[in-house]
Amino acid sequence: MLFCAKNFQMSLNSQEIINRWMPQFRKGLLEFIILLKLQQGKIYGYELAVEIKKLTSIDVAEGTLYPLLNRLKRDQLVTSEWQTAETGTPRKYYQITDFGVETLQQMKQVWTDTHSSILNMVMQS
Amino acid sequence: MNQPFPINSEPAQKLWRHFEQELDHKLKNLPPAERQDIMLEILSHLYESANHDPAATEENRLINAMERLGSPDEYLTPLVSDILLNLKTKSGNPLAIIKSLAANVQRSLLQTLASIIIGVLYFFIVMIFIMSIMHLFKPEVGLWIHQTGGVSLSFEAQENSTQWLPQWFTIIGLIVSISSYLMLNNVLYRLLRKQ
Repeated sequence: MLFCAKNFQMSLNSQEIINRWMPQFRKGLLEFIILLKLQQGKIYGYELAVEIKKLTSIDVAEGTLYPLLNRLKRDQLVTSEWQTAETGTPRKYYQITDFGVETLQQMKQVWTDTHSSILNMVMQS
Repeated sequence: MNQPFPINSEPAQKLWRHFEQELDHKLKNLPPAERQDIMLEILSHLYESANHDPAATEENRLINAMERLGSPDEYLTPLVSDILLNLKTKSGNPLAIIKSLAANVQRSLLQTLASIIIGVLYFFIVMIFIMSIMHLFKPEVGLWIHQTGGVSLSFEAQENSTQWLPQWFTIIGLIVSISSYLMLNNVLYRLLRKQ
């Protein structure tokens, strides 16, 4: 068993490990990124997916944003409303709430603290 | 539903209808208002995404947009179970809460089943290996064929039964267990990498 476990580790090169780790790392930040984006103004699902891809290079299946948006809505961090585009396409716009802004401020603090701690560790290594 | 999303070509219309039906099926457990809302949002996303795609034909633009959206299972399963759990928790109906929790479990059921099967296979492989070694010191350890036609691996001599190839049991057992062990490692390795 030990021999086999060792083999698993040896057969993954570091690029493969990074490739596996990176999406998990980025996906964990998605809710935070969505709220940051919503703080800049209301946005609809497709536009949000495009913006996230453009700004963060997170290659996530676009549909996976919807369970996150639903959770943010359930937690009353965002609200949504339907509007019709000039082309006639219905769009569901999401907007951050006051409670969402307040929570985002705390998330930013957590992010800053965590980022500083990790940066210190990286610098010391 | 098609009215706000004008699709011109016949193949693209077919793809659109198929996708719409798939969404409708996956969302069937939700109340009508929630179902309509999610369907409209996903279809709106698909339509916008296809309209911004550079592919030459309408059907290819649609296919590319569907690929970017991901598998409906991937995003609708957590979405549906989350909405159901929320609705049912609000209603306070214990049966409904269990139902929505079961929908959540369903997703990982195949993974759990695969883990159990692999665990059982590892157990048998290790057993066969141990028995192959034990056979050297205790010849009655082996595979026994009963008169009824049944077969059993046993550490003791079995009544009214014949031992299967007693002189070859160790060799065959070692070859089978080691090769199965390596094969199973390979399967497990591929599964882990996939995750």
